[in-house]
Amino acid sequence: MSMRARIIHRDDVLKIVDLLRRDREVIAAFLGRGRDSAFGVVTDENRDRVQIHVPNPHYPPKRYVFPHIERIMKLRGGNGEVRIEPTYDAPRRAIFGIRSCDVAGIWHLDRFFLGREFRDIYYQRHREALFLVNVVCTDPGCDIDEHCFCVCADTGPAARDHFDLQLMDLGGDEFMAVAGTPAGEAFLDEPIFRRGTAEHVERRRRILGEVRKHFKEMTTSWFSATVRYVSQGKILDKTWEEIGVRCLECGGCTYVCPACTCFTVRDRQVGPNEWERVRLWDACALGGFTRMAGGHNPRRAVHDRRNRRFFRKLAHYFIQRELTMACVGCGRCNAVCHGDIGMPSVVEMIRRATAPEDKMEPVEGTPAGSK
Amino acid sequence: MMRPEVAENVYLPRVAVLDRVVDEIQDVKTFYWHFEDPADREAFKSFRPGQFVQVTLFGAGEMPLSLPPSPTEGETFFTVRRVGSCTEALHGLRPGDKFGVRGPYGNGFPMGSFHGKNLVFVAGGIGLIPLRSCIVYALAHREKYRRIQIFLGARTPRDLMYRDKLLEWERSAGVECYLTVDRAEEGWAGNVGVVGSLFKKPGVEVPVEDTVAFVCGPPVMFRFVIRDLAGMGFSEESIISTLERYMKCGVGKCGHCCIGVAYVCVDGPVFSYRQIRKLGEDI
Repeated sequence: MSMRARIIHRDDVLKIVDLLRRDREVIAAFLGRGRDSAFGVVTDENRDRVQIHVPNPHYPPKRYVFPHIERIMKLRGGNGEVRIEPTYDAPRRAIFGIRSCDVAGIWHLDRFFLGREFRDIYYQRHREALFLVNVVCTDPGCDIDEHCFCVCADTGPAARDHFDLQLMDLGGDEFMAVAGTPAGEAFLDEPIFRRGTAEHVERRRRILGEVRKHFKEMTTSWFSATVRYVSQGKILDKTWEEIGVRCLECGGCTYVCPACTCFTVRDRQVGPNEWERVRLWDACALGGFTRMAGGHNPRRAVHDRRNRRFFRKLAHYFIQRELTMACVGCGRCNAVCHGDIGMPSVVEMIRRATAPEDKMEPVEGTPAGSK
Repeated sequence: MMRPEVAENVYLPRVAVLDRVVDEIQDVKTFYWHFEDPADREAFKSFRPGQFVQVTLFGAGEMPLSLPPSPTEGETFFTVRRVGSCTEALHGLRPGDKFGVRGPYGNGFPMGSFHGKNLVFVAGGIGLIPLRSCIVYALAHREKYRRIQIFLGARTPRDLMYRDKLLEWERSAGVECYLTVDRAEEGWAGNVGVVGSLFKKPGVEVPVEDTVAFVCGPPVMFRFVIRDLAGMGFSEESIISTLERYMKCGVGKCGHCCIGVAYVCVDGPVFSYRQIRKLGEDI
């Protein structure tokens, strides 16, 4: 391991939260009733309820870099005086316990909002104020569920980079801490960390090997074949139609997706001749997404919209353009979709319909775990 | 070159002032305007034909508008049909009123790469708005191009816009300009029929070799014209158009205009017909 690894005692892990809280707001996932969990701000009252192993919340941490609703400027117009003034609200924050899939989600957003010709200043300010403490998913009962497919998306269970600090439960009373940035590196100088040994590194490797076996064996191992089918336009129209028929157009998949980026912009009146411009998440699943003034909508059918979502996420062109895929394998879309057309299900539907037609890949039978 | 305060926040509109309004046709007006800040005016001079801007109307929101002026002209203006809430608000402005503009955005027509070619402009109705920029630009650089032809169709004679320009083009020796209307009215002595019917008129000879055809108009007109041009021997690469999409940002982030492998706002709005076909959506 090229990065500097340290060992921290289980009893000291939450001290990282305390250290971070000295100069920033700390977000962590809290367990609600049943299996529900949600990200929230760590306070003096709830600090002791912060857990290392907790089901990943459906409402993703994306909103800490790309808020669900965000005011971006104030407008004052009419009656002569005109003012257009940007507004920024990017507090210093840390997310404690962010999962590897969600770290990959934020990295995708980095590539999307900060790469290419135009830089998104709002995203940039949130991102620069954010410190990420990644926790590797090692507890099969708690961290990993039947929807997870980070192993197929190549984003987990242990993120390789793009976190500031990474913690991994080594069993017993020990956690391994790894720094991914200079800010994380500086953190390792705190006295709660001590040096690791070759045995710790070996244990990490062994545990990761074990953890991988706990992921449901899914057809999402067909991910890369699906990327090829989508990129080469090999997917049959009837497959998109079948997917479209099952879409209820609720927008849930985009809502929970840590890598979806679409937004709309609205001006809302806040006083006489005063408005604030807000941007809010939007979803390609919704019928009005492409409707223009006058009513013309070039994308009418629901399967056109589903096609759009999966094409945008899986086409090789976009993967190359952002150097990262707009699907990180968190499985949330599968967990929330009432029509069972989350990403893993769609990959399976595409495989079932396309593979027999694919001369490159004559398929006998199906991978284990699928029907 | 972009100035730092503009470059930092790409979503920030700059203040513009309306100078005057000219009626074109029913529900369509041309709005002449200038940036309040001379630095914005200076920076804007380098826009290219086919590019667009995002326009903020206080209280109504923001919308993309194409730029009908050519950078070779001294004035900036929009020609806009009243069709939704933002365009309605724009139509309600009076000279001296202020609004916001940011841009220019998009690729624009690659006019430089068409040097030495024949240019054939085919416009239907308000499809002339984005093409006006190219036509004026091409005529301002007349020596760079070979034959220039304009084919313009409108529903009725009352739907012909940019009348002064049409007269100028009809009278100009450097350009062949043909007009037609779907329905004639009293006083109309010109052609009647769809725009494609002009290609077959006696005396009209459309060059196909070394020619670029610019086609802009409503979807149904576009489909028929494409068919006509293909029949005449135009390749899919030699036909170019602009796509219109719902847009919120203009800078490749909001996602609304993303079709196929392209974001219309940054990869377009100008595409060859071949590209448009590969993108896989209607115009």
